[in-house]
Amino acid sequence: MARGVLSPMRERDTVMEPRPVLRIRRLTKSFAGTAALADFQLDIEPGEVHALVGENGSGKSTVIKILAGYHRPDPGGTVEIGGMPLPFGSAPAAHEMGCRFVHQDLGLVLQLPVTDNLYLNSGFVSRFGTIRGAQTRRQASELLSRVGLDVDPRAPLGSLSLAQRTGVALARALEGEDHRQVKLLVLDEPTATLPENEVHHLLDMVRRVAADGVAVLYVSHRLDEIFQVADNVTILRDGHRVSTVPVSSLDKRRLIALLVGDELGELPSPETSRGGGGAAALSVHGLHGPGVAGVTFRAGPGEILGFAGITGSGRESLLGTVFGALPRLGGVIEAGGRLLPPHDPRAAIAAGLAYLPPDRKTTGAMMGLSARENLSICRLRSVRSGPVLRGKAERAEALQWFDRLAVRPPRAIDNQLATFSGGNQQKVLFAKWLRLSPQVFLLDEPTQGVDVGTKGELHRQLLAAAAAGSAVVVSSSDLEELVALCHRVLVLRAGRVAAEFVSSSVTTANISRASLGEQEVVAS
Amino acid sequence: MNSRLGSQRLSLGFNSFSGLYLLALFIVVFGIWTPHLFLTLATVQSVASQQATTAMLAIAVLIPIAAGAYDLSVGATINLSTIICVWLQTVRGWSMWPAIAVAVIACVVVGIVNGFVIVRLRVNSFIATLGMGSIITAVQDIVSGQNQPTPPTATSWTNLTQLNVAGFQIIVLYLLVLALIVWWALDHTPSGRYLYAIGGNPEASRLAGVAVGRYTWSAMIASATVAGIAGVFYASQTGPSLTFGAGLLLPAFAAVFLGSTQIKPGRFNLWGTMLAIYVLAVGVKGLQLITGVQWLAEMFNGVALVGAVSFALWRQRRAEGRAVRRTDDPVPEAAARGPSPAKDAEPVPSGAGDG
Repeated sequence: MARGVLSPMRERDTVMEPRPVLRIRRLTKSFAGTAALADFQLDIEPGEVHALVGENGSGKSTVIKILAGYHRPDPGGTVEIGGMPLPFGSAPAAHEMGCRFVHQDLGLVLQLPVTDNLYLNSGFVSRFGTIRGAQTRRQASELLSRVGLDVDPRAPLGSLSLAQRTGVALARALEGEDHRQVKLLVLDEPTATLPENEVHHLLDMVRRVAADGVAVLYVSHRLDEIFQVADNVTILRDGHRVSTVPVSSLDKRRLIALLVGDELGELPSPETSRGGGGAAALSVHGLHGPGVAGVTFRAGPGEILGFAGITGSGRESLLGTVFGALPRLGGVIEAGGRLLPPHDPRAAIAAGLAYLPPDRKTTGAMMGLSARENLSICRLRSVRSGPVLRGKAERAEALQWFDRLAVRPPRAIDNQLATFSGGNQQKVLFAKWLRLSPQVFLLDEPTQGVDVGTKGELHRQLLAAAAAGSAVVVSSSDLEELVALCHRVLVLRAGRVAAEFVSSSVTTANISRASLGEQEVVAS
Repeated sequence: MNSRLGSQRLSLGFNSFSGLYLLALFIVVFGIWTPHLFLTLATVQSVASQQATTAMLAIAVLIPIAAGAYDLSVGATINLSTIICVWLQTVRGWSMWPAIAVAVIACVVVGIVNGFVIVRLRVNSFIATLGMGSIITAVQDIVSGQNQPTPPTATSWTNLTQLNVAGFQIIVLYLLVLALIVWWALDHTPSGRYLYAIGGNPEASRLAGVAVGRYTWSAMIASATVAGIAGVFYASQTGPSLTFGAGLLLPAFAAVFLGSTQIKPGRFNLWGTMLAIYVLAVGVKGLQLITGVQWLAEMFNGVALVGAVSFALWRQRRAEGRAVRRTDDPVPEAAARGPSPAKDAEPVPSGAGDG
């Protein structure tokens, strides 16, 4: 549809068409039979900032990972850098050919000065094994000025603003004996963690780098900045290139339509919450915390409430702040008739809350302990008599949960949790909380990295928990998951609730639009 | 591996009980080599009682390390207890039981302070107890004036540990009782479960509602208390010494780490620790009967520790390699952020890396 209307962008320079720095043709990558990227093509010319946009799972990171030499594409596709074919699957080769990457996680050391961060990877200017401090600093200043960053190279990185730190990462990417050798700079969500007021600073730096003749591939969820910084934009959906168009020919509404797909879908005005009147199982008022700037909502018994939002919208930290995994800076939370103290998981559990953190390895589970021990840790009361654990009762209960959630391998309750597959680990962690029959079940990314079959099973469990009277609150970057599960979805933007969708208006298109900022409707 | 059968613990495989096989090997080899010296009841009795205080100190190390906290001050604590207990009796003329009580209470205080520094001031346990050990040694010097007190001569004092029970010194019985209590507490009570959970992942434990601070603190107190009791026994069994504690610290830690490869591999556990202590002691004893060189025990202990832990890690990596190939998840695109491979960010297996 869009392809017919908007002519694919072509050269602006009519006389001397420069050869594209990056030329991708027929690039396909499949994982386990499904194509994460199909027949992709892309050209970026020197000095061009080319934005790559798409929803989660649309194939953006696959493109980046192929360029970085992390993934090998399916046979048949080609990637050329400055006219030379890029050998696949080799990070050093990509570097050698002039590709540089700045990831969301900048890979910098906060405690070290700027200079050290610039040269840790590539090696310092030294003579007889001694670092030549003055010369290093001079070079560092030069490098920093290339991105238009005016900071003292001796300052510890931690003293810099977030945008300045990203600038240091940019400068480091450009570092090399011959500055010309950097041909392509890939920025993967560079602004996701930046506060709004620092974004323009970073965009200035990006423009400056491009003005030097570097081709820039810019990946971001924040559509506003694409209009500020990019020349052209390529839109990906479900692994397919939907369109490549000059940014000047678009407006935000049109871009969102291309992104989300169903251009004709009307924009129903969000209805008010139906759970407004009844007794709430959880009520959150004016919550402030890391990334959360004043969120108010209620969740009723039996309701499945979803939270959506792009990275940096507050979606990742909201539920953790409610439960007390993260510090609360302000606001009132009431559950089970009592007020919850901030940052106190024990009190939250006592009030009937349960919380499944987004990251199993770091905060979700004791991987070195057995599945049974992980299962029963939240409440040993029911499996003990006096001061002694009743092994038999505990085992029986664990087996029952293994059966109920069809954990594989079956009956392996004494195996280390680490030996289970990701999906089965997640089932065990679900059981750990379901066992408490929580009044309020908070889940962050409940099915991330889980296979389809397990996902269905976990969803069934959530529906059953809600049917049994729990209030289930799901925060997810997987919009289809939210649509499949939720009675009501709140969309977060910049730490606040930006939109609310109820029952039939809960669609991926609506949520996407609201996440990206098309509507300015404040609910609740 | 044997996941389909459910329990790894019950298998009599090489993984869990390599120490027992090694013990058998020692007995056979040294039995053949020096049958008249080695294969005697006297050897068993002397090894058992000589190692009793080291074994108790290893238990003191084990309790907090189950919760992921190092107690490096146990060496200084056991020494402090010995000196206080003896000094009160021979210099101050106290009778035995009050002296013992004061010595143990002093050690409880050490544990409380350790816990305070680790839990409240949030100092890394390694650093906190390293410093604490140094402070305790200074306090001990202040108390004793750096003069080694003479040992009490009362029979009741020496009988406290050296009373003959079926040919063994009674201290061996104390060790057995202590081991049973700690085993029960770690493996069969909620408190023990919480300690292991904290050791497994403190943040996940906190989010599961475990009172991480309270249990860590209690573990530090338990550790210092056990060290204090061991110090009293040492004084009664061997006599006072101003410096022996530091020498027991490393063997105790070695036994705990080595023990984490035994019985329940990958977990710091009581019977594994006890097995490690005695397998090493038997090996050293046998070698001592063959040759008289001084460096033998140190060399043997060091080689055994590094060798056994490397071996266990290697076995575990192999097992994990198989487990990874068995997983059925497809590579999730959204889940794997950024192309930096995080393969070696796995938690260190087999409890040997971080405590």
